Amino acid sequence: MTQFLDYVLGGIGSGAIIALMALALVLTWRATRVVNFAQVGQAMFTTFIALSIQTLTGSWFIALIGAIVAGAILGVIVQYLVLRPVKRMDTSGAIIATFGVLIALQAAAGMIWGGDSQAYPQPFSNTAISLFGREWPLSVYDLVVIGFAGVLVVGLTLLFTRTSLGLSMRATAFNPEVARLSGVRVGRTLTIGWALAGVVGAVAGVLVAPTSAISPNSFDILLVFAFTAAVIGGLDSLIGAVALGIGTGLILSVVSGYSDSSNAPVVALVLLALNLAIKPEGIFGHNSARSV
Amino acid sequence: MLSITDLSVHYGPVQALSHVSLDVPRGEVTAVIGANGAGKSTLMRTLAGLVKPESGSASLDGKVLTGHRAEDVVRMGVALVPEGRSTVPELTVEENLRLGGLWRSKADRAATHAEVFDMFPVLGDRRKLRADTLSGGERQQLAIGRALMCDPQCLLLDEPSLGLAPLIVTQILELVKRLASEVNIAVLLVEQNAVTALRVAHTAVVLNLGQVVMSGTASDIASHEELRHAYLGY
Repeated sequence: MTQFLDYVLGGIGSGAIIALMALALVLTWRATRVVNFAQVGQAMFTTFIALSIQTLTGSWFIALIGAIVAGAILGVIVQYLVLRPVKRMDTSGAIIATFGVLIALQAAAGMIWGGDSQAYPQPFSNTAISLFGREWPLSVYDLVVIGFAGVLVVGLTLLFTRTSLGLSMRATAFNPEVARLSGVRVGRTLTIGWALAGVVGAVAGVLVAPTSAISPNSFDILLVFAFTAAVIGGLDSLIGAVALGIGTGLILSVVSGYSDSSNAPVVALVLLALNLAIKPEGIFGHNSARSV
Repeated sequence: MLSITDLSVHYGPVQALSHVSLDVPRGEVTAVIGANGAGKSTLMRTLAGLVKPESGSASLDGKVLTGHRAEDVVRMGVALVPEGRSTVPELTVEENLRLGGLWRSKADRAATHAEVFDMFPVLGDRRKLRADTLSGGERQQLAIGRALMCDPQCLLLDEPSLGLAPLIVTQILELVKRLASEVNIAVLLVEQNAVTALRVAHTAVVLNLGQVVMSGTASDIASHEELRHAYLGY
């Protein structure tokens, strides 16, 4: 039982990162009804940029800021260059295009930084915390990751529910024509949505890198987990993405603990298949059918 | 005053509007009537900036509207309530209203907000509910309220009576008429139901296959028997 609890607790940190990446997918979905499979590619790219800044300045924090700025810019570039031209097609065209961007970003990263795995410096202690006479399967770094995830979720929720920009973004997602007729600058609002998603993805990238190392393909598996969490969460729901992201992290940690970590992606895909068979609108999703 | 001059619109090879000219004075309701496919909705969508005209222009008090995007046209003072009770169903009543005129100052919006609740008390009662829980009549009131939040000098109403009970239609249109005269805005009302439209309108034009076939005072048009038979079907 203690071992089971340890496995569960040990999954919170990785769950928080899955939650952030799922959140980024939900943000682009809400803005433009497109699942952006390039999201992990953008996060990988901005994490490499962060690594370069880190090497140059020696500051983890400045590197994080650099990744955030680069994430916003890259989000805007991906939307403008790739999704604007294909917008005339149906959304499946746009989704395929995001795969193209993913492959292009991975190739570009390989050319710039090389294809080998590189270690990303660990800014905080990553050893188990000892408290109340026992070791806990959580490190200070896990708590930092959870803290970042919490702040971003609360911040985004406030943005969406309390601000004019958030209201414009929601209206644009649900009914762009009524939004335009109300005076909302829809194009700009969509772009802000993509920039925000880029920022959240960039933070997730910088947070996950120290625990795994970084290479052009190292985040691919994160896409599988984040996509699973976002879809099961309902794709439209910020809360759903976070809850299911952390839930996925916990389940994967338990699966890896009792069997082998290579089984984790299989379990994620089984969960996704079960969800699509039983409750395709997702746990936190409501109304209207969707095709992904 | 909203002035439309020689406006033509094509959808591919189909001519939806052909050289339409029309003046919509402030303080009055001007009705556009005609059968299905006469180009009524196209006229409204073109004025609102959702459809680009082939030629011709529209202007409000001298400011040219044509060529501007919808989000700018509404900022210039022309608000469209499109066909089909257009609200955002996933948002609450309050949020739907707040959505209108976000560019205006907080104080101005608060003032209009209070006026809209005065005008449509039912919206105040339902402010926390999602718009898709409202009845058809309530949603139409919400759609008009959202447009009013944009502080329009000209209000475009596309088939507000569609699918509503006659009593509610009368209430809404009487309110629109009062609005036009009290706030001194220009109202352009599109209706398939000519009888209803002519009852509240001061002047009217009849559209057929994208062309203005007659214009005059509402009572003139209502009593024009030949025209009624030919274009309005009663």
